[in-house]
Amino acid sequence: MEQKIYILVVEDEPDVLDSIVRDISSFEAIFPIEMADTAEEARELIQEILDNDHQIGLILCDHVLPGDNGVELLVEMQNNEVTSKTRKVLITGQAGLKETVRAVNEADLKHYISKPWQKEELVDIVRELLTDYVLRNVKNPLPYMQVLDSERIAEFIRKGGGPTDN
Amino acid sequence: MVLSFPGLSLAGHLAMSIFLMAAVFWMFETIPIYSTSILVIFFQVILLSAEGFIDYSSVLYEPLPYTQFIATLADPIIILFLGGFVLADASVKYDFDKSLTRLLLQPFGSQPKFIILGLMLVTAVLSAFMSNTATTAMMITVIIPIIARMEPGDPARIAVALSIPFAANIGGIATPIGTPPNAVVIAALNQQGVGVAFSSWMIYATPIAIIMLVVAWVVLLKLHPPAMKNLTLNLDGKLKKSRHAIILYITFALTVLLWVTEGLHGIRSSIVALMPVAVLTLSSSFDKEDIRKLPWEVLWLIAGGIALGISMKETGLAEWMVSSISWDQFGYLMLLALFGGVALVMSNFLSNTVTASLLIPLAISLATSGLLDGVAGMMTIGLVVALSASFAMVLPISTPPNAIAISTGMVQTKDMIVSGSIIGVIGLILILLFSIIYWPFIL
Repeated sequence: MEQKIYILVVEDEPDVLDSIVRDISSFEAIFPIEMADTAEEARELIQEILDNDHQIGLILCDHVLPGDNGVELLVEMQNNEVTSKTRKVLITGQAGLKETVRAVNEADLKHYISKPWQKEELVDIVRELLTDYVLRNVKNPLPYMQVLDSERIAEFIRKGGGPTDN
Repeated sequence: MVLSFPGLSLAGHLAMSIFLMAAVFWMFETIPIYSTSILVIFFQVILLSAEGFIDYSSVLYEPLPYTQFIATLADPIIILFLGGFVLADASVKYDFDKSLTRLLLQPFGSQPKFIILGLMLVTAVLSAFMSNTATTAMMITVIIPIIARMEPGDPARIAVALSIPFAANIGGIATPIGTPPNAVVIAALNQQGVGVAFSSWMIYATPIAIIMLVVAWVVLLKLHPPAMKNLTLNLDGKLKKSRHAIILYITFALTVLLWVTEGLHGIRSSIVALMPVAVLTLSSSFDKEDIRKLPWEVLWLIAGGIALGISMKETGLAEWMVSSISWDQFGYLMLLALFGGVALVMSNFLSNTVTASLLIPLAISLATSGLLDGVAGMMTIGLVVALSASFAMVLPISTPPNAIAISTGMVQTKDMIVSGSIIGVIGLILILLFSIIYWPFIL
């Protein structure tokens, strides 16, 4: 697994950032987690990850950030060919209808999580979205099977994806 | 040519280069294994065929027409596999594999040890007709909810998780289409004029598959005895009843019936195999998109193995390699044990098909050069190679079913190594036993 699939968490409040990362720590062994507290920092991180030939499977992004807001960042990622595949989630208490609609229409938003969230809810969403990402973008899903939705991955192999008899 | 071996012709040297290239590429997988197979055929056409770049008019070698090499891609055994693939993929499309699983699991009650036996039998039966990998994947979806309902510390979780890949590996040997190494071996035998009927293969191999299944079951239960007393299976689900699905059920039943009765009516299994391909496509049960999704690369892989055997035989390479070792000091059983043991060890690290492809030309030429007893000897060593290759299930990399089971995280590699090694060794002993007390009397 030389090419790693990252999870990016963008949140400006340190406590909230901590608790998101803690909740999804079960994925970290397979999907390294990177953190940013502004859209600018997130951009730099994205560039760095892509420059090292890794991928970003999922972004969990707050909306209200100092500087550019979260929806701005997501739309920008959607317009970039490489990061358009990244599954995008808004995790926020304060995105208005207009911005949320924009995120859905222009950034292919996959999920909207309103604060406060339940840990199981967050973990389930992360698992499903990462499974989506892996099944669409990775040739061999086996290395990721353990922390993802194993049933869906097995079903994918049953239907002829991934490994075959050799 | 860097090296030159006395007694080996120019064509033999070229065939050896191709053999070594294939061996190295297949072992290190620097390129995909199916791609190495195509490369084998390509080099044979350029270097060894009558239409190739090398002029053989001044030497003894009579080059084959290039069509012989490319015809391996449509060898009867490849057509048989094509029929099997179409049936299997159509079954997946209409969830016939799942319906069959529900039906077959019903008689196994609620005791964990019998449920494990049931899971293994179903897996083995399906993998005898479908790919071992797809069967394992399907059965994994069946056992995930079962394992979730077991206590976290129950050793039987490991037994359940290992039972599926092991049964899939074992089930593959039961029929010619069960797994690709069988194809390579059968094709090599065909080239020697030894026909292997579908039903004959089953008579040779199915008993050993059944015994091994029970052995694997006992080994798993001994190592990981269930703590739970009762386990309920959720067997809900509906049989699909669309017109296309029903056409599939009938075609499936008819094809399998004709295959397993080949000995009675004599219609070749590869001819029967065209029937499901024709019926399912003309009835649109199986459409263009489905055809595109067939595992064509597996057919290439097999074809490369068959082609390698042809060039090794035609150029005299196989015979030369065999004759460079003095086999007389080995007894008959020693020879079989040697090939079986090498196949078992190799295929734990390499693809089963690759193992069979590399070993079978040598094994066959042992028989043709008179070291083994004629047709029966050839058949026996073929079975030894094919079956031993399939009994390799020690490591996650040994077979794709093993890899899937480990990837779920339900079982650790060390557990697989322990039970896989025991099963492999018992399997090899059983194969050797069969080659003295069973096969000689029916071949």
